[in-house]
Amino acid sequence: MATPLAAGDAEARRSRVLIDIQGVSKTYVTASSGNVHALNKVDLSIADGEFVCVVGPSGCGKSTLLRMLAGLDTYDTGRLSLDEQSVTGPSGKVGVVFQAANLLPWLTVRENVRLPLRVGGRHEAGNQRIDDLLDMAGLGEFGRRYPYELSGGMQQRAGICRALARDPQILLMDEPFGALDALTRERMNMELQRIWQAHRKTILLITHSISEAIFLGDRVVVMSARPGRVLADLQVPIARPRSFDTIVSHPSYARLATQIRGLLNAQEGAANE
Amino acid sequence: MSSTATHAAVSPADVVKQADPSLDAAMPSAVEDASPPIRKGSRAIGGSVIAGVGLVVLIALWIFAVRVLRVPPYILPAPEAVLNALWSGLAVNPASPKGYYLPLWSTLSNAASGFAIGTVLGLVLGSLMAESRTVEKLLMPYAFALQSLPKVAIAPLVVIWFGFGDGSKVAIAALLAFFPVLINSFTGLRAAEPEKIDLMRSLSATRFETYRIVKLPNAAPFIFAGLDMAVVYALLGAIVAEFLGAQQGMGVVITQAQAVSDVAGVFAALVILGVLGIALHSSVRRLEHRVVHWAHRGKH
Repeated sequence: MATPLAAGDAEARRSRVLIDIQGVSKTYVTASSGNVHALNKVDLSIADGEFVCVVGPSGCGKSTLLRMLAGLDTYDTGRLSLDEQSVTGPSGKVGVVFQAANLLPWLTVRENVRLPLRVGGRHEAGNQRIDDLLDMAGLGEFGRRYPYELSGGMQQRAGICRALARDPQILLMDEPFGALDALTRERMNMELQRIWQAHRKTILLITHSISEAIFLGDRVVVMSARPGRVLADLQVPIARPRSFDTIVSHPSYARLATQIRGLLNAQEGAANE
Repeated sequence: MSSTATHAAVSPADVVKQADPSLDAAMPSAVEDASPPIRKGSRAIGGSVIAGVGLVVLIALWIFAVRVLRVPPYILPAPEAVLNALWSGLAVNPASPKGYYLPLWSTLSNAASGFAIGTVLGLVLGSLMAESRTVEKLLMPYAFALQSLPKVAIAPLVVIWFGFGDGSKVAIAALLAFFPVLINSFTGLRAAEPEKIDLMRSLSATRFETYRIVKLPNAAPFIFAGLDMAVVYALLGAIVAEFLGAQQGMGVVITQAQAVSDVAGVFAALVILGVLGIALHSSVRRLEHRVVHWAHRGKH
C-alpha cells in the first residue's frame, strides 16, 4: 500500500539503529527468593521504523527489558541506548502501552489520551492531535465517556492513542492484548498494523502469542527462560498489509510458528527439569 | 496526518471500522449501561419501603409499651408527649430562645467548623505521611496512640485549654473528625496501583502531578469513607463539648431537659439529632456517588 516515495523513505530509515541493547544483564533481589538473575547479556538492535515482537516463557525478563527501555527499571551491566542516547530514565522519545490498558478510571477517554500532554504542562498544544488520534482509533464518539463504559478492546485502543499523544519515535508495548478474547485480539492486531503503517513508529511488542508475534512483527525475537537471553532472531518474510485469513496459508507462517513453538517448548522442558 | 493515515492502509482500516459499530453495540458494557438506573431505582424504593415498615412497627411497639405495659413516662414518654415537645420546639419564632433553632444553629456551626478544620488537617497530614517515609515514621506512632485513646476522654482537657465558649466545641469536633480522614487518606494514597504510578513515571511527571492526577483521585473512595465518619463524629464532638458546659446548643437543650426530668424533651432533642445525623451522612454519600462515580461501577 505504501507509495514508492514512502518505501524509499522507509529504506533510508531502516539503515539507522534506533534501539540498541548491548550485553544487558540484570539481577534483582526479592524478599521471597533472594537474588533473581532476570537477564543475561541480552543483545538486540532495532532499526528505525521496524516492528519487532518478543516472545518468551513467563518470567523470562522480557517485561523487565521493556521497562528498562522505558526508563522505569535500571540495568546492572551493558549498554542500552535509544537513538544513540544512553537510557538514564523515562524519555519523551518513548510511548508505553501497558498491559490491560491501564487507563485512569476517573478521567474521560479523551482526558486519558490527553494525559501525556497535560503532564509537563503542554496544555494548549495538540487538541487537534488528540481528536485525530481518537478518530483514527474509532473512538471519536467516545471521548467523553469513562473507561468503564468501554469494552476491553476499546480501552486498549485508547491506551495506544495515549502512548501516541506525544508523537514519540518509539512505542513499547507490554502484552497489550493479553487480556482480550481471541476475536477482539485479532481485530486489535489488524488495527495496530494499520496504525503502524500510518505512523511508522518503531515498535517493540512483547507477547505470549506466537500467531500475534508473526502477524505483527518484521522480526520475532525468541527469549530463553530465566535468566533471559536472545535464543533466536527471526525475519518474517511476509508482505504487508497482512490479514489473518491469508497469513495462515503462507508457507513462512507455518515454518516460523513451528520453529518458535519448538524453541519455546524446549525452554519449558528445561525449566521443568 | 489523517489523510495519510486513511490512505496508507485502506483495506484493513475499513474492515476494522466497519466491523466496529455492530460489535460495540453488542458489547456487554453498552447493554449494562441502560439497566443500572432501573435496578438502582427499584432497589432504592424497596429499601425505603422496608425502612418505612420498620418505623411503623417500632412506633407500634412504643405505643404498646406505654399503653399496655404501662412503662412509666420518666422512662419512656408517650409518642404524643415527644411529638408535643418536638412541636413546641419547632413551631416557635426561630429567634426565640425556647425553640430548637438557635441551639441547633450553634451546634451545627461549631460542628461544621470543627469538621472543616479536622478534615483539612487530616487530609494534609495524611498526604504528607503517605508521600514521605520520614513524616510517616515521625507521626504514625502518635497517630496510633491517639487513635486508640477514647478521644472523648480528652474533652475535659480541651475545655480547660479553650474555655467554655465556641472554641472548645470546635476543637473537640475537629479532633474527632481528624482521625478517620487522616488514616483513610493515608491508606488511600498508598493504595495507588504500581502500574498507574509507572504510567506517570513514564511520562516524567513531577511528584505533585502524580499526587494530583493519580494518587488523590485513587484515594477518593477512602477519603469519602473517612468524611462519612468525620461528619457524624464532628456532631458528636460538638454535643459532648456542650455537655461539659456551654451557653447554647443541642447538648444544652438535652442537659436542661434532663435537669427538670423532662424525658419527652430529651427524646425530642435526640430525634432532632438523629434526623440531622442521617441527613449529614446521606449528603456525604450523595456527594461521593457524584464525585467517585467511577468507583461504584458494578457495585449496585
